[in-house]
Amino acid sequence: MKGTTMPTYTLDVNGQAHTVTVPSAEIPLLWVLRDYLGLTGTKYGCGIEICGACTVLVNGNPERSCDMSVQEAASRKIMTVEGLATDPEGARAQAAWVAHQVPQCGFCQSGMLMATTGAMKAGHKGADIIPELDNLCVCGTYARIKDAAKTL
Amino acid sequence: MKDLDHDGAVPTRRDLLKTGAAALVIPLVLPATEAAAAAGAGAIGAYLKIGADNTVTLVSGASEMGQGILTGLAQLVAEELRLDWTQVRAEHAPATTQWPNPYGNPLFGWQLTGGSTSTRGWYAPLRQAAADARATLIAAAHQQYGGTWVAIQGGKLKQGAKTVLFSDVIATAAGMTPATGTPWLGTKRVIGQTVNRLDLPSKTDGSAVFGLDVKVPGMKFGSTVHGPVQGAKVKSMPASSGGYTLYNLGTAVGVLASDTWSAIQGAKAAANKVTWDLPATPANADTTALAAHASALVTSTTATTYVAELVGNPVIGPKAQKIDATYSLPFLAHATMEVMNCTASVTASSCEIWAPTQGQQFIIPLAQGITGLPPEAITVHSMLMGGGLGRKFETDYVAEAITLSKLSGVPVKLTWSREEDFKNDYYRPSALIRVQASLNAKGGIGAFVYRNVSPSIGLQRGQVSSNNPEDTGAVSGAVAIPYKMGARRIEYVPLDPCEVRLGYWRSVGESYNTFAVESAVDELALLAGRDPMEFRKSLSSDARTTGVLTALETLTNWAAGPGPGLGRGMAYLSGFGSYIAMAADVANVGGKLVVRKVWCAIDCGVAVNPGSIEAQIQGGVAHGMSATLWGQMGFVNGKPQAQNFNHYKLARMNEMPEVAVSIVASTAAPGGVGETGVPCVAPAIANAWAKLTGTRVRSLPFYPGATMAGA
Repeated sequence: MKGTTMPTYTLDVNGQAHTVTVPSAEIPLLWVLRDYLGLTGTKYGCGIEICGACTVLVNGNPERSCDMSVQEAASRKIMTVEGLATDPEGARAQAAWVAHQVPQCGFCQSGMLMATTGAMKAGHKGADIIPELDNLCVCGTYARIKDAAKTL
Repeated sequence: MKDLDHDGAVPTRRDLLKTGAAALVIPLVLPATEAAAAAGAGAIGAYLKIGADNTVTLVSGASEMGQGILTGLAQLVAEELRLDWTQVRAEHAPATTQWPNPYGNPLFGWQLTGGSTSTRGWYAPLRQAAADARATLIAAAHQQYGGTWVAIQGGKLKQGAKTVLFSDVIATAAGMTPATGTPWLGTKRVIGQTVNRLDLPSKTDGSAVFGLDVKVPGMKFGSTVHGPVQGAKVKSMPASSGGYTLYNLGTAVGVLASDTWSAIQGAKAAANKVTWDLPATPANADTTALAAHASALVTSTTATTYVAELVGNPVIGPKAQKIDATYSLPFLAHATMEVMNCTASVTASSCEIWAPTQGQQFIIPLAQGITGLPPEAITVHSMLMGGGLGRKFETDYVAEAITLSKLSGVPVKLTWSREEDFKNDYYRPSALIRVQASLNAKGGIGAFVYRNVSPSIGLQRGQVSSNNPEDTGAVSGAVAIPYKMGARRIEYVPLDPCEVRLGYWRSVGESYNTFAVESAVDELALLAGRDPMEFRKSLSSDARTTGVLTALETLTNWAAGPGPGLGRGMAYLSGFGSYIAMAADVANVGGKLVVRKVWCAIDCGVAVNPGSIEAQIQGGVAHGMSATLWGQMGFVNGKPQAQNFNHYKLARMNEMPEVAVSIVASTAAPGGVGETGVPCVAPAIANAWAKLTGTRVRSLPFYPGATMAGA
């Protein structure tokens, strides 16, 4: 909102502290990541928590970042797809995605990988990861996601 | 090879539709050094760039939207240049107004990606170009070092014990007349292999740059809001709203902000302050009213009719064993994962555009129209697409971004909200299709009369007229079917007027015609008391049709039938230059259809990348299944009823069946794959359900009004 004092937050994203000044305490984490921090790997798909393209890890749990305000996110540890390579579970998931040639257009895959990594962190293994993934993939890469997840 | 002969003019869409296998001679300029490309020389007309590091980059006229085309086309180059796969790169070509367009698809000349034409169009010309490049590099080595050289694996040239790299001779090669007519190696070391996709690492670490991810210094984030109904225009609006300047784009109002969320919120708030000019005839974009009109036309004897195919004189006698079935399919949205977006930077002397686009051919002329700048002042960067599905042929969102930048004087990244994306699609036409057919004495098809009533994309775009509605796209999938069907008449009656905005949706006319044709064939088999596989094999009029049917028979172990509690149905299509047969096993779970397994046999000619083909078919099954079971866009007096995924259900992981794909070995020219997996899904599922339950579903989707909940 113009004409009001813009709030400032410090976010912990992929282990780094970022201080941002945003127009509103209500702006979703998704847009802070993308438009203020330049971390565009996290995608906008629907804005209503259905498609999961915006999934990030918040304190290790998969969350739809389109519906988490910056205010809520500020006190938590955020991990995005850009941070996966340095995360043990994340790096394994990435490698499985490449080994099984999962992505087509790739737009949903950041969210898929974050949901998968979150499921691994929650103790799910192999085929047990699959029911945890409710993200949408319009390309229909589900079969290969299943194949990849089964190896994790 | 024949030129389109347009005196340098860009052809119309109608030419595109009518052009068959004519091809442009590729004005190959090879090889361009990276230095030359950077300087502008060789950047246009150059298909290959050989870098100082001996990497070879394919500059692709076809756009990557997930189908793997950058990889597939790069394989052709790698084959003929004997490259190691680690040396290979690919990037999108720039847009150009040159004509012939050096990056135009050789099938039709235009630089656009669609109709499952990229591999079909580029296979021979690109292999030839790469083979000629190889010969040119060999000649360059001869000129530079003397003696006889051969190309060897790894992008190298060899003479006795001496080896040099391509990059060692590119300066010499650039000054030479390129070789022509070089024989292909034909070793198929790379073609026919499932090589790793070039774009995949970047699609697992967030580094892939889609249109939505473009960053330009100084840019503002923009969003637009359109009227509440189809065809609405801005009548009046305030100069600002909520502290934001409002930009009048004619059919939309734009807001610029410091982030996309603020822009979307600002645009939504502004929408309530805009007065919209609404169309005078809302019934023309009302699903109920359009359906009533279609019902009248499907039986009318006076409707303006385009007879797309007539073989003999089909007469269905009163005593014949016959069917008279009417199939209905809804309007559909594209719903690409990546919403419409575009970034533009317009100044007094330049216009730079970053667009996720299937339609480069149209963009420079569009920008010229908006900015008044000459074509050489306009630069178009084609970005990765988060799905295209036919939606990103269109340029409405590109025009909005250019206009917003021009009006505001700053670079603008325009992002539509998902709601605007659903509201402002170019929807797949609805269709009402009547099939009257009879059996002959041998239990085959004696007469087949087909009438498709659907709103016409061609009519809406001025390609055809109301009194001469030869919309060939509307009947694709219903004509030239390689079945022995006796006498047949295939008719098209445009549902006119229709003010729902229409467009090309993955698998276009086949997406509705194949449902009607293959459901009707199944009903005829049932009427004849014949097995649907055996019936189709007996109808087959060519070897490749028989080939895919037989391959499916083997793949499914057809004779054994499905497991207990399952129904199995099948369908077949010759389309996009390929042949496909598909079977589906469905279960009845508490009255609801669940797809358990899908099998596909495809003959797409030379299979350039079998893994990519499998992925495209699997994806086509997902897309087709979502449309079959749930897909539907309704309109009430022009207002789109589904405005987000909560009211537009798509398949999720738990609903995705296993998909088995068998690729029939073939040496025929490559056929299309991207769309080929979609059309058979609906009839295979409906035929399976009929087999399982005895209930014939002729109206899609199976479950209208399906919703989808959040996480």
